[in-house]
Amino acid sequence: MIRTWLLFTAGALGLVACQQAHAQDMSVSGVLIDGAGWQLVGQGYKFTEGPAVDLQGQVYFTDIPNNRIHKIGLDDQVTVFADNTAGTNGLMFGPDGLLYGCRNGDRRIVTYDKQAQVQTVVEDLNSNDLVVTGNGGVYVTDPPGGKVWYINKQREKRVVAEGLKPNGVILWPDQGTLVVTDSAEPILWTFRVERDGSLSQKDRYYGPLQLPAGGGGPGSDGMTVDTLGRLYVTTRVGLQMFDPTGRLGGTILKPQPGALSNVCFGGPELDTLYVTAGDKVYKRRVQSRGVRYPAAN
Amino acid sequence: MLAEWTMFRTGRSLIMKTMLAGCALASLTNVTYAADDYVLGPDSQVQPGVPQGTVTKHTWKSEKVYPGTERDYWIYVPKQYDGSQPASVMVFQDGGAYVNPEGQFRSTIVFDNLIHKKEMPVTIGIFLNPGVIPATEPNAKPRQNRSFEYDSLGDQYARFLLEEILPEVGRTYKLTDQASQRAICGISSGGICAWTVAWERPDAFSKVLSHVGSFTNIRGGHVYHALIRKTERKPIRVFLQDGSGDLDNVHGSWPLANQEMAAALKFAKYDYRFEFGDGGHNGKHGGALLPESLRWLWRNDDAR
Repeated sequence: MIRTWLLFTAGALGLVACQQAHAQDMSVSGVLIDGAGWQLVGQGYKFTEGPAVDLQGQVYFTDIPNNRIHKIGLDDQVTVFADNTAGTNGLMFGPDGLLYGCRNGDRRIVTYDKQAQVQTVVEDLNSNDLVVTGNGGVYVTDPPGGKVWYINKQREKRVVAEGLKPNGVILWPDQGTLVVTDSAEPILWTFRVERDGSLSQKDRYYGPLQLPAGGGGPGSDGMTVDTLGRLYVTTRVGLQMFDPTGRLGGTILKPQPGALSNVCFGGPELDTLYVTAGDKVYKRRVQSRGVRYPAAN
Repeated sequence: MLAEWTMFRTGRSLIMKTMLAGCALASLTNVTYAADDYVLGPDSQVQPGVPQGTVTKHTWKSEKVYPGTERDYWIYVPKQYDGSQPASVMVFQDGGAYVNPEGQFRSTIVFDNLIHKKEMPVTIGIFLNPGVIPATEPNAKPRQNRSFEYDSLGDQYARFLLEEILPEVGRTYKLTDQASQRAICGISSGGICAWTVAWERPDAFSKVLSHVGSFTNIRGGHVYHALIRKTERKPIRVFLQDGSGDLDNVHGSWPLANQEMAAALKFAKYDYRFEFGDGGHNGKHGGALLPESLRWLWRNDDAR
């Protein structure tokens, strides 16, 4: 009886309740922990990018000009994982346990295994950042070409979006929606993911981003998502957090002036934000949790 | 909430007030009641002898302005519409809430009553829900387009109405193409949406009704009061309703934002009216005021 009544009430009041829920906010106060600020993890790099978390919660990142990939152990010790990485930029672990990388110096998408042995996934494309689906498909941004590529499990590549200036790329936790940053736009492009990996229904769903007061674009770059569907995007003014309906919930301050290029959740519980910020890497414990993409049916 | 002593206001019923106060009244003018206890008046009730219009439900899939979105919408056609002349048009956002005959607004009942009394013209109501983009896989979340459509500044939603919805409804019904005979209404984000449509296309919509409008920084709408002051006045008639108990959150303060809007509209000499009550973020006050706000919006227009 109670259940029936609740269902009836929910139906009758649904629309108004829906409006009220939409009008409520998801602010950064629901993400940050009082007293838990940014902590320096590593420094002395030239330009850090591509943070990616493995199954244990260890975070890998690239130092692009120095052609290295580093690993942050669970004890916060930073070691060199790979050398001579040919300008490898964006990274992410796939469901096969391999570390996928945008090896832009030789125009390849590659995987690194645990011994940092390199295998080519596809070649002959520019790349900046990538996201690997739970089924092993890969979306890759190609800023010079103004394209987004999709690589299927058979390792065939094709263009799935054009006519934008893509930079970072991420999937929603359920992988049904793909989001792409555009360094020239104060919004994030949003697409529906089709079964064959195609992208459809492009629109300016997230926005507007906060812009630097002195002028210029947002400088939006790498992104990550949490279990509640909130999206975090690195920008010139800081780490901007959006709710699942595309509304800015607030900006988390940068750990230091200068570049903020990318972000991921790390640690065994995926409850720590890691950001790449120019010559350094920082982390910060938060209330939210990162996601791993499950394999679809 | 603070109790208050007051005279009656528009939309409040003496009988209901008395009941709410527990029938323990010392006098008719010293009535104690809680805030936000607005109730619907007779123009929001079905009245005997008043012709009732028809309401039909439809769905719309956008392929042009909001590609991939799907939504329900309802069309209200007053009994007095005979197709001999173009009908006036009023578009409601979150249409499901406004069209509900048992909801906080009961718009179609109000239309029946006001059109019958010739206090507003023969008007076709279009009640639109926000769009949803279903995900490809059933276990994935749809993209809820409400905030994107309603809170965004710019002309995209106006184009959606002018290029998709009005032509579609116009295939069946003869609709006016005069801005002076087109009104638009919404609650919360739908309220700022209604304003944005008229602000972008005053040549197409001239009357705005906003209930607890989100003139806050959800997607930059907090700038409107500043824009209104520094932009040549546009031919828009606007009725704003808000309450002291409305939201105050990361996007802004709704009561302050609506007061800023009202002050800017006054400064720029707009044809505006602002009703600021003691309600919260809901349609109670706006619903109680709906007959009066429609009379005010449609005044001096020919009631056919």
